[in-house]
Amino acid sequence: VIRPVGQRVALGLGIALVALWTFIPLLVMFWASLIPISDLIAGLVRWPSSLSFATYRAILGIDRMNEVFGGQAEAIARGFINSVIVAVPVAAIGTGLAVLGGFAFGRFRFPFKNTLLFILLSVRVLPPIAILIPYFVILSALHLVGSYLGLIVTYLTAVIPLLTWVLMGYFASLPVDIERAARIDGCGRLGALLHVTIPMATPGIAAAFVIAFLTAWNELLFALILTGGTARQTLAPALLGLSPTMPSTGTANLGLTLFAAASMLSAVPPLILALLAQRYITRLNVADPVTLQGE
Amino acid sequence: MTAVDRAGRRPLARADANFALRIVIILIIITGVLIIAPLIYAAWISTHDTNVILRRSMFIGLGHYRRILASDEAVEAMIRSFEFTAFAVVASIVLGLVMALVLNEEFPGRRFLRAAILLPWAVSEVATATAWIFILNPTFGALTGLLSLLGLTEPNHVWINENTALYWVAIAFVWHVTPLGTFFFLAALQTVPDSLYQAARIDRASAIGRFFHVTLPHLRSTILVVLVVVTVEAFRSFDILFAMTRGGPGTASQTFPMLIFRYTFEFSKYGLAAAASYILVATGMVITTLYFLVLMRRRRRVKVDKESAVETSVPILAEAGAS
Repeated sequence: VIRPVGQRVALGLGIALVALWTFIPLLVMFWASLIPISDLIAGLVRWPSSLSFATYRAILGIDRMNEVFGGQAEAIARGFINSVIVAVPVAAIGTGLAVLGGFAFGRFRFPFKNTLLFILLSVRVLPPIAILIPYFVILSALHLVGSYLGLIVTYLTAVIPLLTWVLMGYFASLPVDIERAARIDGCGRLGALLHVTIPMATPGIAAAFVIAFLTAWNELLFALILTGGTARQTLAPALLGLSPTMPSTGTANLGLTLFAAASMLSAVPPLILALLAQRYITRLNVADPVTLQGE
Repeated sequence: MTAVDRAGRRPLARADANFALRIVIILIIITGVLIIAPLIYAAWISTHDTNVILRRSMFIGLGHYRRILASDEAVEAMIRSFEFTAFAVVASIVLGLVMALVLNEEFPGRRFLRAAILLPWAVSEVATATAWIFILNPTFGALTGLLSLLGLTEPNHVWINENTALYWVAIAFVWHVTPLGTFFFLAALQTVPDSLYQAARIDRASAIGRFFHVTLPHLRSTILVVLVVVTVEAFRSFDILFAMTRGGPGTASQTFPMLIFRYTFEFSKYGLAAAASYILVATGMVITTLYFLVLMRRRRRVKVDKESAVETSVPILAEAGAS
């Protein structure tokens, strides 16, 4: 396309601004994780005496720099592992149940469908903090505070309605003919789902899995309350422990480089997954629940 | 059994409906046990004055609710929640729209940039807070460093103060949440018929005129969807506020969810916190209803206007990112 000069300049400017706005915060954080703490405290916008991945090596346990961070690097590594232990089952179980739910809502008509859908959606819009107190009290009574199970169950409640909604749209958009043919050939309803519909819906299911994983991996509030300070602490509350509590007062401490590196590491699985599933997620063309009533 | 619906599908047999209903009922029971039961318990907590030490509870009716509605602290927190939400909604719609317009043009590297703008959405709110702390910190922050290097501010300029804290967190939140809007808008922009632009060009409409008279009207329903989604997300937002300022300095960024957190874990006032939660839920229900109404209206329009039926709407994604 050949554009007039004015438009070219405007477009160039626009592209630059989009790129800067998107990347600068991530790059600043990455930069802060690479420079020595003495340089960091003096300011990010100056040439550092050296650049290294030493902090990352400390977290990953490659270097014995852990003493410098007073065991905090180890806590981050454990948080990383705990987050994997929580997020993977949440994504797997949540996606599994939501495939059934999405199949039911996306494919069939049944009595009270709108009402049931509304119940599911209102659950989704519930502020998490609203169920925090009863959860805390109930899970304390069940001795599930500080356990993986308590947190996994909590996240499933958030993830199931969400993914049901996502997959409902996806199933509704798939052609029904092959499924019907399979049924005529003697497949049961679940058989048809398993052998025909699920293989067809793989991109949508993959996107749902990624969304569930991100939800569980990124969440702070429940992770803080249910696992904070325990051996089962996930990555988000572990990061918080390193944060200068009041950014406005400008507290600078030794943990700052670690804070930057750990935050960066925490973002790596989501960034990779988002890029891998990007094509699927943006194609998810679903989720206008109302246009998908399956009439 | 003979009628054929709009999509050319025959209505399903009664057995299929029963099968689907069974699955859905199981899901509703699971959500019921895991969410509605705790909510009922929260209602009990909110109407009782509980003495944690003596393990005794006394029914006090709506006492906690009255105390909250009469408390300046709570009213201020609610106002802050609305301010935070309004800022986030307006900023993310404007920014999302601008970004979508840029990415809708053809230029080398467009595919890469389109994929890359999803990244802030994938990063957690905690990591988002970290990134912005490193930008805004008065001692070592990049923004302070850059501007004082250029002589525009004094070194150690305090960005996050009593007047600005709420808005700086909102800006960080906008960074995290805008990719969604951008994606909605990009999808919608691709459905604007070229013939409309050509007609506008024949009428010698300027680029700005084309935007306001062709593009914007076409995006109206998408804007509504983004508006509602970001409203819900911003209104219930907790993680980023807690990670960035803990509601401070003072109470400058203490929104309603932050206040509930303080009631619960700082003061152990479970009854008060549960009542405050219900006030938040009630507001949330209003928003849900609004959400449904907006989408219902959209659907009616989609029926009328086949062209905009192609328009994607992925409101669900928004929900995913912000949790």
